Amino acid sequence: MSKETPASSRIGRHVIVVLAIAIGLDTLGQLLWKLAATRLPATLSPDALLHSIARDPLPLLVIGVFLLQLINWLLVLERVDLSYAQPLTALSYVSVCLLSAWLFGERLDVHKGLGVLLVLMGVALVSVDPARSEAP
Amino acid sequence: MLLVLVCTAVEGLAQICLKQSSRQPVRRVRWIGAGVALFVVEALLYTAALQRLDVSLAYSLGAMSFVAVALGAAWLLGEALPMTRRLGIACIVAGCAVLATGG
Repeated sequence: MSKETPASSRIGRHVIVVLAIAIGLDTLGQLLWKLAATRLPATLSPDALLHSIARDPLPLLVIGVFLLQLINWLLVLERVDLSYAQPLTALSYVSVCLLSAWLFGERLDVHKGLGVLLVLMGVALVSVDPARSEAP
Repeated sequence: MLLVLVCTAVEGLAQICLKQSSRQPVRRVRWIGAGVALFVVEALLYTAALQRLDVSLAYSLGAMSFVAVALGAAWLLGEALPMTRRLGIACIVAGCAVLATGG
């Protein structure tokens, strides 16, 4: 990639911050969602769902996290291309993989390590060129 | 597993609605509404999938949404896809496929 970087393809520090928050919220949301899903009854009638949420409001917390994530994500999209920002959220695959091994005892082996490595390489490649397709 | 793949297509559409909201200030709320509605559909399907699969496996299969989003962004939003971006997305999807088959 010998192309020189035009001014428009530099990203500001605030973009990095909102992207980092997006990845953090993504990770938190996924883990809480898994926890909530395992605690729900196996058959989901609306009635059973309401009773279960009354006993255990975890699903509401998941919804709260996703609302925050949505607002933050809109801030990201105002600043960069969708096809640039969205692949970067793949970093949450790495964090979800590691944390679910730790929290839920899901297996972590060489195979998964290779997958994590490929994802990291991909994220690095995408982040090389943040060129915007439209004027700010 | 099929459930998760349907989720990725819905996710692609939802993301494009959200990005569209930042490009069209006049119809902003409408696009956000459409995006959120699609995310709710995805959420219901995904919750059903998570009851049957490990979270790391289900999430890995969801990687196909990177392809769906990139293609949608290029075709529908006219975003450029630099070579590094394409290679990067290919790497990410390969990584997720490796993660998914390892489970």
